[in-house]
Amino acid sequence: MTTHAADARRFFDSRGYTGLQIHNQNPVHLLEKPTRDRIITSYYWQEQCFAINEATLCDRAAALTFIGGTYGQQKPSPFLCLTMKLLQLMPGRDIVLEYLNQTEFKYLSALAAFYVRLTFDSKDVFQTLEPLLADYRKLRRRTRDGGYSLTYMDQFVDDLLTKDRVCGTSLWKLPQRTILEDLGQLETRESPLGEELDDIDNDDDDVVETRRRGSSTPNAHGNGVDCSESEG
Amino acid sequence: WDDDDLVEVKIVDDTDDLDPETERAAWKLRELKRVKREREAIETAEKEREELERRRNLSREEREAEDKEFLELQKEEREGKGKMG
Repeated sequence: MTTHAADARRFFDSRGYTGLQIHNQNPVHLLEKPTRDRIITSYYWQEQCFAINEATLCDRAAALTFIGGTYGQQKPSPFLCLTMKLLQLMPGRDIVLEYLNQTEFKYLSALAAFYVRLTFDSKDVFQTLEPLLADYRKLRRRTRDGGYSLTYMDQFVDDLLTKDRVCGTSLWKLPQRTILEDLGQLETRESPLGEELDDIDNDDDDVVETRRRGSSTPNAHGNGVDCSESEG
Repeated sequence: WDDDDLVEVKIVDDTDDLDPETERAAWKLRELKRVKREREAIETAEKEREELERRRNLSREEREAEDKEFLELQKEEREGKGKMG
């Protein structure tokens, strides 16, 4: 169990760290140094994150009203503070999955998704997060200038899987999905649209065919070629 | 941490299921874009592989001729830019 000190600085000191590691380093180092420093001096961290455990963290996460990195004068969002708390607590895999898959509190799911991206292996990241691409619950996101914008769970997860920086944090480099597929670690992704997608594909073919048929007529008049050239 | 206006938070509404139909349609669009992006990535990789294969099968002279053509085209473009300035 993690012991809680009022001043967390010792835990965040990289010298002589002997605890559990994630990706071969002190887990809190998955966040950037400036962000860490801002988090441990923020009121939210000191007041709301003191001496909480895996269970009481749920209360805090359920009370979240937005996701985001730092905003305003680089003030860390409660979302980031709780992420760091998770990195400190290092809850077991089953607990993280429970956070992720409960359906009542979407911000808790978002928090767990972020944690999964930071700490799981590449194969597990894809396998765990991809089901959430079908989840279109709305999320409020705080932008860097302090404003709010609307995003969605699937959008957020997609960002986690494809972008390098999310919520003011450089994510460790995730290999591309195609590479893991070539290595035989993952199956090709089936879109949750499933049969609907096939229908749309068929529709597309029809459209292309009609277009071809349509364009053959102006060609006969000698207009089609001119048009395509002027467009280019 | 809670010095922000709670009213301000409500500017963006994150209530779900206000209009499930529209929300699903919007998600469908995003999902289609993702599928499209994946397919395009595969297509680009495929094209690159084909091009590589083609170049490998060319003879030395042919390759050099192609390079020369490409370089001249580049040169022309650069000169064109100079004139504009």
